[in-house]
Amino acid sequence: MGAARKYAPLLPVLGLYAALFAIGLLVPGKWQLIAQLVFYCALGQAFNLFMGMTGYVDFGYVAFMGVGAYGMAVTVSSLSDKGLGMGVIGIGLILSVVFAILLSLAVGAVALRLRGAYFAIATIGVNEGFRYLIEGARIWNGSEGIIFSSQLRELIGREAAMSLSTFWADVMVFGVAGIATVLTIVYMRGKIGYALAALRMDEDAAKVMGINVTRFKIIAFITSAALAGLLGATAWAVKLTYVYPADVFGIHYTVEAIIIVLLGGAGTLLGPIVGGLIYGVSKYYLAVYLPGFQLLVFAPVIIAVIVLFPEGTVGMIKKNLLGTALEKYIL
Amino acid sequence: MFLEQLSGNLFQGLILGAVYGMATMGLSLIFGVLRVVNVGHGAFMMVGAYCSLWAFHGLGVAPILALPLAMLVGMGLGLIFYYTVIRRLIKAPELATLLATFAFGVILEETIKLIATSESRGFNWDIGKIDFGFTILPYTKLIAFAGSVLIALLLYWWFNKTRAGMAMRCVVEDDQGARVCGINVEWEYALSFSLGLGLTVASGVLLTMFIPVGIQPYMGGGYTLKAFVIAVLGGLTSPYGAFFGGLVFGLLENGSYSLFAQIPGLEPFAMTRFFSFVMLLVILLFRPTGLLRAR
Repeated sequence: MGAARKYAPLLPVLGLYAALFAIGLLVPGKWQLIAQLVFYCALGQAFNLFMGMTGYVDFGYVAFMGVGAYGMAVTVSSLSDKGLGMGVIGIGLILSVVFAILLSLAVGAVALRLRGAYFAIATIGVNEGFRYLIEGARIWNGSEGIIFSSQLRELIGREAAMSLSTFWADVMVFGVAGIATVLTIVYMRGKIGYALAALRMDEDAAKVMGINVTRFKIIAFITSAALAGLLGATAWAVKLTYVYPADVFGIHYTVEAIIIVLLGGAGTLLGPIVGGLIYGVSKYYLAVYLPGFQLLVFAPVIIAVIVLFPEGTVGMIKKNLLGTALEKYIL
Repeated sequence: MFLEQLSGNLFQGLILGAVYGMATMGLSLIFGVLRVVNVGHGAFMMVGAYCSLWAFHGLGVAPILALPLAMLVGMGLGLIFYYTVIRRLIKAPELATLLATFAFGVILEETIKLIATSESRGFNWDIGKIDFGFTILPYTKLIAFAGSVLIALLLYWWFNKTRAGMAMRCVVEDDQGARVCGINVEWEYALSFSLGLGLTVASGVLLTMFIPVGIQPYMGGGYTLKAFVIAVLGGLTSPYGAFFGGLVFGLLENGSYSLFAQIPGLEPFAMTRFFSFVMLLVILLFRPTGLLRAR
């Protein structure tokens, strides 16, 4: 496969992100909506990297976002008087990734030994467990959380802090989405993608064929967790300038990630972006016309998707485009 | 002083553990027969809690009388859910049933929220208490304990002495063989799914005998986690294992609460929740077949 053909599916994905960015900048008053949409797309992509590629459901996924948000909050609030300026945000991003990777190693060491239902059971308590550890042992201020807006102002000045949380945080989320896109296609086109496809079909057969499934599962798990850490640090900590344990470990973010990936098509490159857009736009309009009913609408949608078209929107598009000139752009 | 407190807590833990155990039997039954993990488990318990709340406030009767009603509600929900969704997903990858049961739990939560708002509610059913010297036990808790043990015994009798119960055990052993023997496997699946959910909703009623406050649509999440710990303690596939797992969990939970309360600077309630999560991982790591069974 030539490089151009190999990476052709990047075109629609990056095109969609560029279009979103342009709309956000050019249409007045739409930046917040665009930021929300990109957050959902990026969340879907990060989640898809593990769930879509392996077929394992991690119900505790939000915990990685939570510790990522804490990584940023802890960095800014403890380094605010060192005079490092914007460098602290960079350190915060690194720390958020480190936290997420450490947690994923701890969880993965137990959960990745297990399969199917047992894996789901092992992960379902991770977010709650971590939240109660923070509250119970009063780590990082316990249940009061960390509020670091004044430290951020002290660090980079009022103006810069303002534009950081209203604009640049969202640009960073675009960045995370970009990284997730590149990683996804590199994985899908690489050895790991084929190994995980084999695992998804039949884990025992894949093992017998000599594929080191454990290794590839761990790589996908850690990558997905690191992206979640970055998302938590940018879309939550930098944007809101506070972190509360009850908020950042809420299971409904895992639910949203599941809905997005399923709607778009699990294990596809374009799927999470399509799913994120469908979910984000419909949630936005549901909040306007039927406030409080979002989950009551989306939960039956999950069931309908699983029963009626488990391959998702992009899976269906892919089927219909088989054999046409557009085929090579959809992955 | 500490020992008296600990023994009191452990006693209470054993009583509560019986309710926990009964609350997990449905989860293990469904997993044992259908290999489906009911991720929406806690939401079904929440429905049971609302049944007893409505019995007390709406009908003005003793909330324990909501037990048969809750059982019927659960079985009805189970049949509907089985024939519309689960039946089509039995042969699908595990991912499908995990997400479907999870989504069904969300539907229940949101529906209850729509009907009863998300306000946290409770009731006060006071019928006196009994003093054991080292601890005081309200009669309501005693009723919950007796009810749980009774239901567990009934289930034991049903599985071992009735044809219907034995047929269900056949399906667990070997569904192909059961089919050859003329057992309607499809119906056994439906029956055990609805029975499992009936037990789960009914356990919500018993739970409110213990904790009659904090009844709100999202109360189930914590119980889902506890039920998984208990089910894993009991080996995940056996309802009796689940019952004994519940007793063990009740003791461990209340015992660890007493210990955490001794350590200054800790919030014992939150630490207990954390402890149950750690317990889940440790058991899955070292004894995935449960405490009661050999490997």
